[in-house]
Amino acid sequence: MINMNDIVLVIILLSVLLSLSSNRLMALVKYMAMQGVMVSLLPLLLEQHSRIGSGGLIFFQVMILIKGVLIPGLLYIALKRVVIKREIEPIIGYHASLFAGLIIILVSIFITERLQLSLPQGRELLLTTAITTMSAGFFLMMSRRKAITQVIGYLMLENGIYLVGTALTKHAHTIYIVEFGVLLDVLVGVMIMGIILNNINHTFDDIDTDHLNRLKD
Amino acid sequence: MNIFLLSLAIIIVGGTLPLVTCRNMAVAKGLYLGVTLLGCITGLTALFSTSANLLGATWSWSWLHSFSLAFACDALSFFFLMPIFLICPLAVIYSFAYFDKEENSLRTAVSFFCTNVLIVAMALVTVAANILSFALVWEIMSLSSYILVMYNYEKADTRKAGYLYFLFAQAGAMLIFAAFGVAFSHTGSLQFSEFAAIPAEAKLFVFFLAFLGFASKAGVFPLHVWLPHAHPAAPSHISAIMSGVMIKMGIYGILRVYFLLASSDLLIGQVVLVFGMVSGVLGVLYALGKHNLKKLLAYHSVENIGIILIGAGLGMIGVAKGDVAMAGFGFAGSLLHVFNHSVFKSLLFFGAGAVIKKTGTSHVDELGGLMKRMPITGRTFLIGSVSISGLPPFSGFVSEFLVYFSAFNGLKHNHATLLLIILAIISLTVIGGLASFCFTKVVGVVFLGEPRTDRAAQAGEVSRLLTLPMAILAALCLAIGVFPQSFIHLAFAGFTGLLQIGSVDAAMIDTVGTNLALGSRLFLLIFFTVLLFRKLLYRNKVIAKGPTWGCGFTRGTARMQYTGTSYARSVVSFFRPFAIVRESKVQLVKIFPGKTEFHSRVDDIAEVGMQHGLALPLLTLLGKFRWIQHGKVQLYIGYIILAISVILLVSFI
Repeated sequence: MINMNDIVLVIILLSVLLSLSSNRLMALVKYMAMQGVMVSLLPLLLEQHSRIGSGGLIFFQVMILIKGVLIPGLLYIALKRVVIKREIEPIIGYHASLFAGLIIILVSIFITERLQLSLPQGRELLLTTAITTMSAGFFLMMSRRKAITQVIGYLMLENGIYLVGTALTKHAHTIYIVEFGVLLDVLVGVMIMGIILNNINHTFDDIDTDHLNRLKD
Repeated sequence: MNIFLLSLAIIIVGGTLPLVTCRNMAVAKGLYLGVTLLGCITGLTALFSTSANLLGATWSWSWLHSFSLAFACDALSFFFLMPIFLICPLAVIYSFAYFDKEENSLRTAVSFFCTNVLIVAMALVTVAANILSFALVWEIMSLSSYILVMYNYEKADTRKAGYLYFLFAQAGAMLIFAAFGVAFSHTGSLQFSEFAAIPAEAKLFVFFLAFLGFASKAGVFPLHVWLPHAHPAAPSHISAIMSGVMIKMGIYGILRVYFLLASSDLLIGQVVLVFGMVSGVLGVLYALGKHNLKKLLAYHSVENIGIILIGAGLGMIGVAKGDVAMAGFGFAGSLLHVFNHSVFKSLLFFGAGAVIKKTGTSHVDELGGLMKRMPITGRTFLIGSVSISGLPPFSGFVSEFLVYFSAFNGLKHNHATLLLIILAIISLTVIGGLASFCFTKVVGVVFLGEPRTDRAAQAGEVSRLLTLPMAILAALCLAIGVFPQSFIHLAFAGFTGLLQIGSVDAAMIDTVGTNLALGSRLFLLIFFTVLLFRKLLYRNKVIAKGPTWGCGFTRGTARMQYTGTSYARSVVSFFRPFAIVRESKVQLVKIFPGKTEFHSRVDDIAEVGMQHGLALPLLTLLGKFRWIQHGKVQLYIGYIILAISVILLVSFI
């Protein structure tokens, strides 16, 4: 059998790069859904997790449900409400973003090596992917203007955190309690963002976060 | 001890009830009053019943599995618990009638809740026995009192006052925690009892840091700036609790840290004494210059804190010199003045609140003639005024006498100590004289004479629930003055076992107490004899009553009376370098001059100094960093990444 972990990780990396280079918001949401499913599938594929109880199973199902269906669904609804299709005038262009994504991957590999953690065999790629996802999330938040893209960046950041947790811990599933907490945070964040998005749209006829400048002192 | 905790629990429950029942204000207020009174009475029982055995009790429980919150009650805690359980219930009774607007029911309920949280927090501050529990309850105390000050939050002045208070409270807390941190770094233990083990130089550092922190809570000059703003902004019973009880927690902290450190460095006593003298004299001076009733009372708090610190400073010098009598009487005078001040200052604030409630103004020059219209308020206010001026036969005299006694005992020392003690005696007399002067101004302008405005003329006596606390406090003022022995013993009991150099001769305390009692009673006797003689002499004579300040004018108006400003002007301008007097010039140019105006304002040098020396430069400096806040979300995220990378880099290297 080919190493399934690596395939999943590569798909995650691919989704990161795709979301960095995509200018259609609907596509972005779809990539996020895919990434969410892959990220929540990953712990199941790691060999330490071959024995999981019913609690663990329920946990992973809930995880897939939230990451893969619920959050993208909410984003989808939010997008439908505010009639926008694509990100216009990103702060950093799509090709440059793609290039930056590649650089981020390189830097992540470098950081993974520098950290010199005593990782279990075969987890280096996992940690690299995790750091890449996190950094790319940050990058997405910084380089785009639309509020919805920033939520997506935030989601990607959360996926990265989840992956770091997966990479570093030798867990029984009880340890996921922290990740689960973060996930709930994100869920609430997405919901609130949906509401705010609506309001920004309502007030400014646009969801460009530059309008938020007026809120400063 | 269990009874003590029970009383605190009852008080908290009493505070929570109005939050639940605030739909029906009458029920909420009734429940609140009843339960809180019950709690305070339980607290007093815990203090004074022998079976409860609060003295020496310790208890602790663990918090978050890793910290322990320890509490212990000793003589000093015991003494400071007394005013809490005595003044707060009276303030609660007062608040029952003071908050009578139905539409503010939720706000009132929140105020009730915070009042009770404040009471409990203060009680716990006095018994906290390790750094963590102290920090926790200290912050709860500051925050709950901040919310109480903000009761009238829709006024801009109140918000400003609240902000100022918050600033000073937090800066003070920061200094206190810094002091604790230094102490912790030497002992490695959170327990207060380990403080004595730190080296002598560190002791000085810890003491002065803590002193500054506690001074900002107690309102010691020049850290008193928040007091004259917060008191007029807060409701009157809250001012009474804050001025009467809460700022004493600052004094408690100073004394507690001093006794914990067990340092006998002369410098500590000298510094405390100097701070006491400065805040005493300048406090009363600014009080003279202010014409807002509550602002004036707030400055008198600064003055009285000064007297308390003079007593404490003399006590500390006495300890450093090994002079038992000086140390004992100094601390006793200081502690007794803490108690007395909490009694008469809350009485005065209650009186001021009643006046403000009836007339709608707190400016003394818009009042007048209230003694006839509000007899009980006027008379109790007069008693409070006499007490605060330190005149026999009332309570202020007793405690100030003890401080004087300590100072005169210390005159046998030489060099700098002698000089300081002479200065202390002089400033005590100056404070006493100016305080009497100031209260002749207040009582004369507000309660005597003729009303200056219509609202003052139409004022009537306030309800029984407002006058009852005042009457009780006034009676207490007289009782302390006429029966001083037991109160003096109580004050001496406040630091039994804490003075390392031995204890004061009991016979000496008794002699002082008896003589004071004799003096007060003689004074009362003479007073009543004179009164009787007057009655007898005037028995058969016709007494004609004319308008006040009539003086033979055919068309006298109320505006011809002395105003507060004119009365105090000569004294205030004598102290000009310290009191910045701003007056508008009045020039009459024609033979029949038109309408002219005169404004006069006395500024506090601490406030002006802090504004120009600290606040404005800081604002200009920080204003230069305004560009960091540009409102671009993307760059804010950049800041976060930058911060993370810096932290990571630091930990990498």
